[in-house]
Parts: sequence; C-alpha cells; structure tokens
Amino acid sequence: MQLAKIVGHAISSVKHPSLHGWRLALVQPLTATNQPDGEPVLAIDVLGSAHGQHVIVSNDGLGARQVVGHKNSPARWMVLGICDSQRAEA
Amino acid sequence: MRIAEVIGTVTLSRSHPALANYRWVIGVPFSLKAIEQGQAADGEDFVILDELQAGHGQKIGVSEGGEAAVPFLPARKPVDAYCACLLDSLDVK
Repeated sequence: MQLAKIVGHAISSVKHPSLHGWRLALVQPLTATNQPDGEPVLAIDVLGSAHGQHVIVSNDGLGARQVVGHKNSPARWMVLGICDSQRAEA
Repeated sequence: MRIAEVIGTVTLSRSHPALANYRWVIGVPFSLKAIEQGQAADGEDFVILDELQAGHGQKIGVSEGGEAAVPFLPARKPVDAYCACLLDSLDVK
C-alpha cells in the first residue's frame, strides 16, 4: 500500500471484460514527503475519489481480482482509502 | 496500470510457443508532467501484448508484472505487459 494523489480519471470503452463498470482513477504514487514516486498509474476506484485527493492505493493483484470478482482480471492497482490527514516525521 | 502511447507494432517470426499468434505493440509510458501538459509520452518504450487492437498513437492502460499473465490462466504465458484498456479520454483538468 502506498500514498498517492488523484490526478485524473480515465474513460475507456474497449477494455478487458473484468474492468467493465469500474471507475478508473489516474493516481500518482507519492513518497512520505509527498514527492511524486515513479509514473502515474490507473487504479480501480471503488470509493469515488475526487481530483486532488490524497489516497492510499494497493498494488496487490490478488486483492484487486477479488474486488472486481473476476479471477482472470489484469487489474492490479486499487484505491483503498481516502486520506483525511497525514504526517511524516523525519 | 501505467498509461502508454502506442508508437508501433512488433511481429515475431519465431517465438515461445505460448506466445504465437498474438499481436504486439510498442508503447511509451507517460510521466505525470507529460500527461498534465499534453506533451508526447516521455518514458522508456516497451513491448506489450495486445488483444484489443490498439491503434497507432492511441493511449492505452498497460497491466504489468505478474498480472499481465493472469488473463490467460490457467494457460501459462511468459508475459509481463498486457494491454488492458484503450483510453477514450483522460481527464486531468
């Protein structure tokens, strides 16, 4: 699980059948000091997160497959929670 | 899934038997800056197995790592990048 920020949303009509009906959020993983960590990724968004929100994402494929209910799903990233506040101490 | 722009295709005359008869595209992943500023993809290109007939210049969502091989289970394929969706639009405001 990793901190991330919602930077956008994607619309897709042609996709793997397991992804039908799921909102796809574009999330930028962050370091503990809120610096971008790697490239942004598309995550399944079950929580209806909004642009600019800080969230926790998981990159556990098994968990994502259980959420979408499809054992052959290529899904991996998933928004697990929306952060109210966070604090990192050096 | 990272977002990539399709810049080309690959054809294989010889391949691992489990990978015969698939379509392959070359994708370049986007950094956050490139997406937000509407620039061309700026990452390092890689080869992606494509079952969705992605077109040249199209943005796609690419599932990477172990999950790339999951759609084919119980068949086992040595794949680590799979085109999971074709993006119609990307709303980054």
